[in-house]
Amino acid sequence: MPIKTWELDPNFKNEILNELGGEHLTACYQCSTCTLGCPITEIIPSYNPRKIIQMSLLGMRNEVLTNPDLWICLICQTCTARCPQNVVVGDVLAVIRRIAEKEAKAGKIKIESPRPLFEEAFLHTLEKYGRLYDMGLALEYYPKREGGTVSGMMAMMKDYKDFGMRMFMHGKMGPLGGHGLTKGMLPSKIKQREVMKKIFAWVEEKEKEQ
Amino acid sequence: MSVEKLALYPGCPSEGTALEQDMSTKAVFEKLGVELVEVEDWNCCGAAEAEDPRLVYALNARNLAIAEREGLNIVTPCSICYYNLARANNALKHDEKLREEIKGIDPSLEYNGTVTPKHILDVLVNDIGLDAIRSKLEKKVEIKVAPYYGCYLGRPPETAFDDPDDPVLMDQLIELIGGENVPFSAMKTKCCGGPLMMTRGDLAFELARKILETAKDAGADCIALACPLCGMMLDSKQPDIEKALKVKFDMPVVYITQLLGLALGIDAKKLGFDKNIVSTKRILEKVV
Repeated sequence: MPIKTWELDPNFKNEILNELGGEHLTACYQCSTCTLGCPITEIIPSYNPRKIIQMSLLGMRNEVLTNPDLWICLICQTCTARCPQNVVVGDVLAVIRRIAEKEAKAGKIKIESPRPLFEEAFLHTLEKYGRLYDMGLALEYYPKREGGTVSGMMAMMKDYKDFGMRMFMHGKMGPLGGHGLTKGMLPSKIKQREVMKKIFAWVEEKEKEQ
Repeated sequence: MSVEKLALYPGCPSEGTALEQDMSTKAVFEKLGVELVEVEDWNCCGAAEAEDPRLVYALNARNLAIAEREGLNIVTPCSICYYNLARANNALKHDEKLREEIKGIDPSLEYNGTVTPKHILDVLVNDIGLDAIRSKLEKKVEIKVAPYYGCYLGRPPETAFDDPDDPVLMDQLIELIGGENVPFSAMKTKCCGGPLMMTRGDLAFELARKILETAKDAGADCIALACPLCGMMLDSKQPDIEKALKVKFDMPVVYITQLLGLALGIDAKKLGFDKNIVSTKRILEKVV
């Protein structure tokens, strides 16, 4: 499909350049080193970070923000380490994901991938307790992903029933390891939880400023 | 550099899925005469899920500040915690305005940039040193090991402390304790798939499969690693991967501190060898 030049948004690159991590976008000279070393490209040949960067430079804002490939980046930093132009490709993709999440929250685009839900559920446990609480994460994530409590619980059981039993039998969860009766089942809470609330409020404030 | 006392940032998996890494880290450092003091009331580093760098900076400013008040450098057994602590430290150290702004959130986030965060592998090999470790070895661990480094030790360049493509620090420890490194260069620094485990399990399993398969084909008795997320993916999830992809690996996966602990003469139970999901019996039989 040819690019519709009249639909391009020349300001999109500036949106990325102005975000923390997106500063070096324009240094890209399309050599494709990022894509050649990418472990996801190895499995899915059409996955192409170089292309996402070029589309961003051209201003194909909507195509970039709704590209499902954004959400299968591993953040493994291989592209970042190898880029001869120091584009910090991994951070650029993270910036684009953050812009996409903002657009989705504003109802302007729809993200099919469940990854934003997962990240949100992860950070919620952190905001509440100061540490990751696996079970709390799963109890929020699965129902949201499946769009219902019952289907969510079933999906969670499918993924984690055997895993949970393994953790239990090896004493990593529950009483068998001698680390307390409810180990891993209840959240581990830090004392200064109010500081976590303040940090998250500050980040939210900052996002609004952008 | 000699080290006597460090602040330990254990990271969230230390309390559950990576219990054996936590146990073996503490046991090994004790045996080597390095005191570890847990960062009091530490909070999560943000892991790979905090995509906004500002969140990572603020969360880790608190952990760094606690260590700073104790006058100690931070060491962590987790690669992702290390990456987040190190990049937050770099940003805060060089940006006074950022430091001031983060201090404004809460006084407990006042950090002056005097702490150096390190990963345990870096401290063991580069600070304590192979000679000092050698002088305390009591046993030989004569096994074939696939040394697996994963992502955040050799990259990104900003925080890396080993080679991005062919890291060597773990190889050196394995040789030191009498083990043999099997050819594993192609997989050493490939991602384990962990970050996609909950959202694209199929891709995560495929990435892990390649690593497990390569180790098996190379004739390894076990995989050694230094990150709890890699441990979760390659060990805790190994039975799920086998079931989903209809393959059999039966590949023990252990933390490098567990292997080192065996050579230092520490009891296997104290190193958490009964906590690894895939049986480690084969490894323990080869300690002489």
